Amino acid sequence: MTDLPGFPSRRSFLKASAAGVAISGFALAATAQPAPPIQLDQYQPVFFTDAEWAFVLAATARLIPSDGDGPGAIEAGVPVFIDRELTGDFGTAVDWYMQGPHNAAADPLLGWQTPLTPAQIYREAIPAVNAWCEQTHGAIFADLAPDQQDTVLTAMQEGEVELAPEIRDFFKILLQNTKEGYFADPIYGGNAGMAAWAYIGFPGARAAYKEWVGRHNIAYPLGPVSISGDRA
Amino acid sequence: MNTILRVIGGAAVLGAAGLAAFVFVPVQRTVAVTDLPADWKAPEGAGEYVMYAGDCMACHTAEGGEPFAGGRAIHSPMGTIWSTNITPDPETGIGGYTLDEFRAAMIDGIRADGAHLYPAMPYENYRLMTEEDIRALYQYFMEDVAPVNNAVEATALSFPFNMRFGIRAWNWLALAHEAGPSAATGDAAFDRGAYLVQGAGHCAACHSPRTTFMAQDGLTESDENYLTGGEVAGWHAPALRGEGSAPHVWAVEEMAAYLSTGRNAHSAANGEMGLVVRDSLQHLTDEDNLAIATYLKAMDGEPGTPTVAEAATTTETMLTEATDLDLGARLYMDNCSACHFVDGKGAAEIFPELANNSIVTAPQIGGLANVILHGAELPSTEHRPMKLKMQGYADRLSDDEVAALMTFLRQAWGNDAPPVAASEIGAFRAPAH
Ligand code: HEC
Ligand code: HEC
Ligand code: HEC
Repeated sequence: MTDLPGFPSRRSFLKASAAGVAISGFALAATAQPAPPIQLDQYQPVFFTDAEWAFVLAATARLIPSDGDGPGAIEAGVPVFIDRELTGDFGTAVDWYMQGPHNAAADPLLGWQTPLTPAQIYREAIPAVNAWCEQTHGAIFADLAPDQQDTVLTAMQEGEVELAPEIRDFFKILLQNTKEGYFADPIYGGNAGMAAWAYIGFPGARAAYKEWVGRHNIAYPLGPVSISGDRA
Repeated sequence: MNTILRVIGGAAVLGAAGLAAFVFVPVQRTVAVTDLPADWKAPEGAGEYVMYAGDCMACHTAEGGEPFAGGRAIHSPMGTIWSTNITPDPETGIGGYTLDEFRAAMIDGIRADGAHLYPAMPYENYRLMTEEDIRALYQYFMEDVAPVNNAVEATALSFPFNMRFGIRAWNWLALAHEAGPSAATGDAAFDRGAYLVQGAGHCAACHSPRTTFMAQDGLTESDENYLTGGEVAGWHAPALRGEGSAPHVWAVEEMAAYLSTGRNAHSAANGEMGLVVRDSLQHLTDEDNLAIATYLKAMDGEPGTPTVAEAATTTETMLTEATDLDLGARLYMDNCSACHFVDGKGAAEIFPELANNSIVTAPQIGGLANVILHGAELPSTEHRPMKLKMQGYADRLSDDEVAALMTFLRQAWGNDAPPVAASEIGAFRAPAH
């Protein structure tokens, strides 16, 4: 170190780090640590009630089941993603035009016509679906056997589960959010450990593959990288 | 820290020994090196130009303060040194300074009241300026700068550093050289470059090492260690002469571009050097920056042949194949290769070369650690207004990872610098400023 009243570090004494820190004896112990992966069974939902959470766990587990050769929605933490998504801008439709007039029954080609936000749709649709399940199958969705759950989901997809026009798109939204949670960057709570990316061979957010452009039929040897720099 | 105390202590002991002499012999002000007529006037704009060359504004202006009104804190372990108000305000500035007193501040480090200035003011270097430039400066500060009434906080260092007379002994060592510019060689560009580098530009203040007494070890090329590399706040200020130094490797025009814009085909000016470009060098004429480049080049002659070709290819191939990457190389692929590329060559004037880059291979790791953790931004200059910015990686990389990445960089593409340990990184995590 070369600090004397002569040439400390001039001006801002800046960039101070080394000298300054060593001298004042305060060194930030901070080290960038990757956020530990979220454990689904320890996760406290922020948006969902217990009953809703049970529904989402059960439904996503059937949409991307765990018994295939890749990770299922549960291993990938998809329900966590959806819970966070619904508390955020998407769930509350912050940047959508949500003023009237509303005609919830309008042609689907006309886009989002319901006055409800996505979060409100989950809130209203889950009890409606559960009521339908109880009436049709004698138990709420989460308590049905997996093959019964598949039947219900198929019925929802085909529009056979009668839902009010305001919530009629529930299945579409749920399926879309499940895929998002599966493939989005882990920073948003899903795709835990980048398992979905590793499964399909997606190299992640490295943003630079210049050397690979012209190299055909050579297996890409590196695993994926997440936005926060984690490797899998 | 120990070094500092020892060194300053040394100066203080010297001081104590000669105490009687200090107290009783009046200070001597060096006389003008050229006898100019009393009515001599500097040409229009000359004083402001010398001010830019000497970078007075950078030190004498507080963050967000009036130009030259002082009050910039220069921290040191002994306490804070406050730069003083050098506007012509008679009460709080230098309005009462005569030309002789001003000259003494510039070349002897003596204040109007006879007290010694702390050498935070680079009078060691300004001592090599011409009388014409000093007069131009004096005229500029007295006539063109608006007076600002701003009493800056008095510098109050702890004992014994508050004994300004101690600096006197130090000055015997530091100001041993004659006042006035080095002898001309007759080559106009070389002489002009030498003059700017040694004098107003005070490049040696950062780029020369320091003696045991913290005086600059090398003020002109007659000194062996002149511009052979120094250290500023944990950053390495690289050698500007000798085999492999930037002036040796870069073309004269590339050097001039670096000085006036902070960027060229090889490198970028960061940390203190970024400020020097922003506040001082970009305001010089292209001829003067070329003169500086010419002078720096001439100290070393023609460049040797680049020797890194083979090692460079080895790294490039390894990164391209990407099959057996250690952590450092992998981190480079994941975080850096998008801009600096697998050949480490970046893109001229946009993404600096990391192959054979002094900030990467520096003995002090502060520069590289700071750039990786906190990012870097090039100043906007007249020729290159775009502020190029690199993001920091402090949130993304752990100490282990930063160390592995740095170790990789320091040995990639023919770079040959020692590895870095994770334990060295923590000190740089506190953001700069
Ligand atoms: C690297 C920082 C730095 C630079 C560059 C610098 N100064 Fe200073 N200067 C100082 C500091 C610090 C002091 C006060 C030192 C002290 O109090 O002992 C000072 C003191 C002075 C003083 C004495 C004023 C007084 O009464 O205290 C004058 C005059 C002066 N500088 C003029 C200049 C001029 C003109 C330039 C540009 C050619 C310049 N300085 C560039 C740091 C700097
Ligand atoms: C306040 C301290 C300071 C002063 C004064 C200063 N420099 Fe620097 N200089 C540095 C630092 C620190 C670096 C390393 C920063 C970097 O590489 O981005 C540097 C880097 C450089 C480089 C790049 C060298 C390389 O190998 O990449 C050149 C060239 C240079 N300085 C020239 C000059 C010249 C010419 C002057 C005088 C007009 C000067 N510097 C004055 C601190 C200083
Ligand atoms: C998005 C593009 C981008 C990425 C990614 C990037 N850099 Fe930079 N880098 C820049 C730019 C632009 C500069 C010039 C800015 C400056 O030096 O102030 C720069 C400057 C540098 C410098 C200073 C060079 C010099 O001559 O002073 C170093 C060292 C560096 N980068 C290393 C890295 C490392 C290591 C990584 C990966 C952790 C990285 N960069 C990632 C764009 C990038």
